[in-house]
Amino acid sequence: MNTAIKARRARKKLFGNTVFHGFGLIASFFFLAPFIWAGLASLRSNAEAQSPPLPPWPKNGISVDAYLTLDTFGAGVWQHTMNSLLVSAGTVVLTVIVSILAGYGFSRYRFPFKNLMFVLIIATLMIPFQSILTPLFIILAKLGLNNSLLGLTLVYVTLQLPFSVFMMRNAFDAVPREIEEAARIDGARDLKLLVRVLFPLVLPGVVTVAIFAFLNAWNEFLAALILLSDNEKYTLPVLMTAVRAGRLGAINWGALQAGVMVMTIPCLVVFLLLQRYYMRGLMAGAVK
Amino acid sequence: MSDAKCGMRLQNVRKDFGKVPIIHGVDLEISEGDFVVFVGPSGCGKSTLLRMIAGLEEVTDGSIEIGGREVTDLDPSLRGIAMVFQSYALYPHMSVRDNLGFGLSMANVPKDEIARHVAEAARILKLDALLDRRPGQLSGGQRQRVAIGRAIVRKPEVFLFDEPLSNLDAELRVSMRIEIARLHKELGNTMIYVTHDQTEAMTLADKIVVLREGRIEQVGSPREVYENPDNTFVAGFIGSPRMNLLNGTIAGKTIDIAGSTILAHAHSLEGHSAVIVGLRPEHLEVVTAEPCTLAATVDFSEYLGGIGYLYCQLADGQTVTVEQREGEDYKAGDRISLSWRPEKLRLFSADGARIRP
Repeated sequence: MNTAIKARRARKKLFGNTVFHGFGLIASFFFLAPFIWAGLASLRSNAEAQSPPLPPWPKNGISVDAYLTLDTFGAGVWQHTMNSLLVSAGTVVLTVIVSILAGYGFSRYRFPFKNLMFVLIIATLMIPFQSILTPLFIILAKLGLNNSLLGLTLVYVTLQLPFSVFMMRNAFDAVPREIEEAARIDGARDLKLLVRVLFPLVLPGVVTVAIFAFLNAWNEFLAALILLSDNEKYTLPVLMTAVRAGRLGAINWGALQAGVMVMTIPCLVVFLLLQRYYMRGLMAGAVK
Repeated sequence: MSDAKCGMRLQNVRKDFGKVPIIHGVDLEISEGDFVVFVGPSGCGKSTLLRMIAGLEEVTDGSIEIGGREVTDLDPSLRGIAMVFQSYALYPHMSVRDNLGFGLSMANVPKDEIARHVAEAARILKLDALLDRRPGQLSGGQRQRVAIGRAIVRKPEVFLFDEPLSNLDAELRVSMRIEIARLHKELGNTMIYVTHDQTEAMTLADKIVVLREGRIEQVGSPREVYENPDNTFVAGFIGSPRMNLLNGTIAGKTIDIAGSTILAHAHSLEGHSAVIVGLRPEHLEVVTAEPCTLAATVDFSEYLGGIGYLYCQLADGQTVTVEQREGEDYKAGDRISLSWRPEKLRLFSADGARIRP
């Protein structure tokens, strides 16, 4: 009797586990399939590049032809990757610095029109940035920053800031005031307070801001296309459009898949590196 | 102008939040080495006053001196104070060792010296085994000890405690209370302690400061504020269960309370038409017949083992609590007479001020 119940329970548990993991496997297959497909396809040789997409894997051995072809577009894939990395890293660094300072100010200081200003900053999210590209172009031209990666970086930072300031203000709001007061009594002031005490406590917020800033700057196309005019200054998304547009009407699908991989890998690396800082319970033990 | 013995001096200290006055001109002098407890109901400004002493709240007006030094506008870290917060406020990303040493490292104290100070504080508070843990891995009592340790390491002139025990469970609270008392004896510093817990106030304090609505109602030793309250507020606030405060009217040289006539004893009733009679529950006695008595009806009684309480009602509806050490049991509805020793009677004028004999 007892063993029968146990056996039934074990069967039920096994069934539950199977369904659970089965569903997880199917879901992850759907998410990973495009990447696997593109990755395999990018390893086909030139001869295979124009053959039908199924099966996606290379039939005559692995080759890096597609990547070599990709390098013949624009100023070479290295140049464009470096451009993209520069712009994205610059965007991340500037966004993080400015949003930490702004978020701290909005969270802790009292000043006139604080809430109004905060709402105004958030409200800029409602403006589609395509609609302000022309004025942005003119401003950059006046500043002598048109057709420069620095100018593009500044535009990305501006676009990234409303969300980031919002994130950082919430992150600072979550830090108990007493910790800051304890630190002030311990003699930590201003920058020291921010760096030694508060920064580690808002790290999850900083990581979120950094990941979003990186992904958005890395993938942005329209502003890069319009604000840059030199071939060797284009970022990867612009290069990719050139590859997709093809040469003389012929699209090199192998090169395109290679480009997809080149664009994907840094995003994965950034995410995998930073996601472990989303530590839960970081604040545990601080108060109460 | 202050002598070396002066631990702290507050002069006409005021605090407004916007247009709302929170602290209305507090004057207070604390001698060096005193354990001073601020008590009062919530919202009375006791925490605000402490935070002003710490430098965490700006002072609207008045001056604060610590150890003979004017500190009113000084940065918190330069005032020679250390504070223990109700919520501990430990740095969660640092080990206990770093939590303790943080203040010294901010003051650029050499590493070996920091290590020595940390080791000493850890020894005093028995934290030696926990130095490499993070606050998240500690129990509530251990966290509070770390918070106190962080204060000790700074070697302050004055320790400030903001309700440090209210997050702990009852048992731990008692042992931490004893630990704080021991610490005061061992270190001999001036300590200011904010609480709303009377037991903490009575047991720890050399001096109790009773606050209400941003004003000091009375300053005195625990015995003074208990036995000799300045007004009905202090009389009712200190002591549990609270003092019976009965409204009476003057009839010649006697006081009439709900139909019972009682004597004013040594008090002069001149110039009053109504008074408030204060009698502590433990000073009331159930008697069969005596000239000076109060007639009451038992509402219900509580038996707590060693003692019991009778909750009674007078003819006009005023309630009286009586503490009973021994004697017979009374049931609801029993009519009793209450008596007291004349010197235990406290008289207050109708506006609450004490009428002293």
